[in-house]
Amino acid sequence: MQAYTEKIREAAKRLLAEKKVDGVIGFRKGTMPFMNEPFMAKTPEQADLLVWDGNCGINLANYLPKRTDKIAIVAKGCDSRNISIQILENQIKREQLHILGAPCKGMTDKRKIQDELDGKEILQAEEAGDKVKVSGRDFEKTFNRSEYLQENCAICIHRNPVISDEMLGEPVQEQQVERYEDIKQIEAMLPEEKRKHFDELIEPCIRCYACRSACPACYCPTCFVDESKPQWVGKTTDPTDTRTFHFLRAFHVAGRCSDCGACERSCPVGIKVREFTKKLEKEVKELYGYEAGMVQDLRPPLDVYRPDDPEPFL
Amino acid sequence: MSEWEPKVITFLCNWCSYGAADLAGVSRFQYPANIRIIRLPCTGRMNPKFILAALRHGADGVWVSGCHPGDCHYIEGNFYARRKFALLKTQLEYTGIIEPGRVHFSWISSAEATIFAEKARKVVEAIKALGPAQHFIKKQAEVA
Amino acid sequence: MSEMFIAKGDFPAIIERLMSRYRVYAPVKNGRHYEFAALKEAGAADLGFKNTRMSPKAIFYPQAERMFEYSLAKDDPEVNIVKETPKDFSPQVVLGIRPCDAKAFRLDDANFCSDKFKDPWWAQRRESTTLIGFACNSPSSTCFCTSVNTGPFDTTGLDAMLVDTGDGYALQVITEKGKNVLGILELKPAPAQVAGKVEELKASAEKSVATAFDPPAIAQQGTLDIFNAPIWDEIHFACLNCGTCTFMCPTCWCFDIQDEVQEGTKGDRLRLWDSCMFSLFTFHGSGHNPRSQKVQRVRQRFMHKLKYYQDKYGTGTACVGCGRCVQACPVNIDIRQVGRLMGSGCSCPA
Repeated sequence: MQAYTEKIREAAKRLLAEKKVDGVIGFRKGTMPFMNEPFMAKTPEQADLLVWDGNCGINLANYLPKRTDKIAIVAKGCDSRNISIQILENQIKREQLHILGAPCKGMTDKRKIQDELDGKEILQAEEAGDKVKVSGRDFEKTFNRSEYLQENCAICIHRNPVISDEMLGEPVQEQQVERYEDIKQIEAMLPEEKRKHFDELIEPCIRCYACRSACPACYCPTCFVDESKPQWVGKTTDPTDTRTFHFLRAFHVAGRCSDCGACERSCPVGIKVREFTKKLEKEVKELYGYEAGMVQDLRPPLDVYRPDDPEPFL
Repeated sequence: MSEWEPKVITFLCNWCSYGAADLAGVSRFQYPANIRIIRLPCTGRMNPKFILAALRHGADGVWVSGCHPGDCHYIEGNFYARRKFALLKTQLEYTGIIEPGRVHFSWISSAEATIFAEKARKVVEAIKALGPAQHFIKKQAEVA
Repeated sequence: MSEMFIAKGDFPAIIERLMSRYRVYAPVKNGRHYEFAALKEAGAADLGFKNTRMSPKAIFYPQAERMFEYSLAKDDPEVNIVKETPKDFSPQVVLGIRPCDAKAFRLDDANFCSDKFKDPWWAQRRESTTLIGFACNSPSSTCFCTSVNTGPFDTTGLDAMLVDTGDGYALQVITEKGKNVLGILELKPAPAQVAGKVEELKASAEKSVATAFDPPAIAQQGTLDIFNAPIWDEIHFACLNCGTCTFMCPTCWCFDIQDEVQEGTKGDRLRLWDSCMFSLFTFHGSGHNPRSQKVQRVRQRFMHKLKYYQDKYGTGTACVGCGRCVQACPVNIDIRQVGRLMGSGCSCPA
């Protein structure tokens, strides 16, 4: 995927020089191993800072809502699905966008790699093809990237962008995987076990709302978390408040979530918050045959209806 | 000690189920007094936040009732509500916030007073069988 | 300053003795990470850590704390009288705190415990707590303590400090408080060669911390020059306005006060961590928000840490270089880089 770097720079320079766009949203190299920083290049010179590798897991669509300028943006499969939802929900206009489609082979999960290193600090990570070479003060180790992908990437079935103005590479082969194994396991639990499972899952939550902030589907003018008249969710670290927050956050993105994994990636305490959203994704698929952002003009499932919709709740 | 009685927060659409409740009343049909009715302009107004708020504040169960699909005063409000309920109920049960049987939905027109009274009895019975809600009620915050 | 020595094999017994007199907080491994926790058994303490994931500030300043309680019951003779919640201020020991985090408490004192104002709970907890530090022999790549007026062996905020010398811990007693607490342990004085070993470790640790930026250079810049500089446009772009950096930071002290009422019978007044990253933090009752834009909030955080605090107190930055925000930021906004930009006359390098 690093081959995209050159293509992104070339496209960015061209688009900026021709004044077709006001900025190009991509990533620049981070200051830490396995980290890149979302970045907007505004001049052809800045375009040389843009990079692409397996550490671009933040969903760039998050930087689009309410922009008024013309923007080129690098979009993976998931990013592109969120962009199409944002277009449907009037957050940005299609005419404003020049989408550089990036067929994606998944993003690296640095936590999984760190787990293999017995607490040793990673000082450098170099990616070459599917290999990533990690080194520190007194060690060097090479990993196969495909075995250390973010969990959402490992089960991703839409790696190719659904909308784009130009593609950065040939489409990659889509995976045939069972997406909902973990969800089915939870579904099979007794109510008491489910409650325990989720209570333990969110126990470390520090209520920083990074999962919400990183989400490309979160752009309500006032988030329910910030509503104070009435206050729907308490702000303490009490378990009931934390449960309420995670429940409502997930419900808000029901049918709009592309499972990009930005929430889980950005959680500072490593909570698998996707266990909340993925269940709704599964239900939406089963009940309404809808997958977020896959078809351009199809509105999200809670925004439409069919007269003969199923009524499993009766 | 008096027998425990559940509190059931009941959201009723102004144009149908609320009328059914009224008709049940003037017709002297008996239904349990456990239900606390909140009138909505339409089930389409129903927000998941309302249900969570009811449960957080100590309701033992929640019941939402609106017009039969196709009969919405606003043409399509209850069609949207239907999708919301479907996802909401599954998610509530999936996350273990409530046991199955604490949250109920129904379609009851303003003429169906007997059905309303019957459904009210069933809802209250189901919730009674589960016992008092305990796990999602916001009590004094567990903080330092 | 006196030097003592604890062989590694004796360490659990020492912790146990401390626990018999004090509540002891120490780093405890929890999954992938370490956190400070009140010890239930001496064996849980684990000094094999670089630093804890969250800063230890919650020991003095919990994320959610009940300050007052009141009754709302009409027949209660004390209805509507706000009463302070009783708290446990019995003596405690924080064992294994890193020098940077201990220094951070000193900086927080400027807010919670100054000559003019004293936060009663912070001050009492500080008073009843003895900080036994743990010097950093091998700082992380994200550490930059030496750039911000502290260091891996800095004893400024500590009552005593442990240094891992391989086969045991050298223990320096720094304050009277430290002396009183450690007096009960009847420790042996350190063998002669230990002092030299500690000096060696200190020199090598300090050398291994890279220079991040130059606080005096930031202090010298005009406040408005930095405030209005074009650098913020680029710095703020990636920010998600999540509160991660502020929640992890040992020197972020902002809080929100909320009342919670239990169904009309009684109520609590709570103090909760808040964050300048949230727009609600500055949202006025009038509906006006002086920091409604993301760029304003991002600028506020860095200006407060690296500029305003320096200007106001003249004791350096409100940052101790622990590197938690650098590690935890989901979009890799790096305070070291921001500090460099703020100090460099604010011309953006390409």
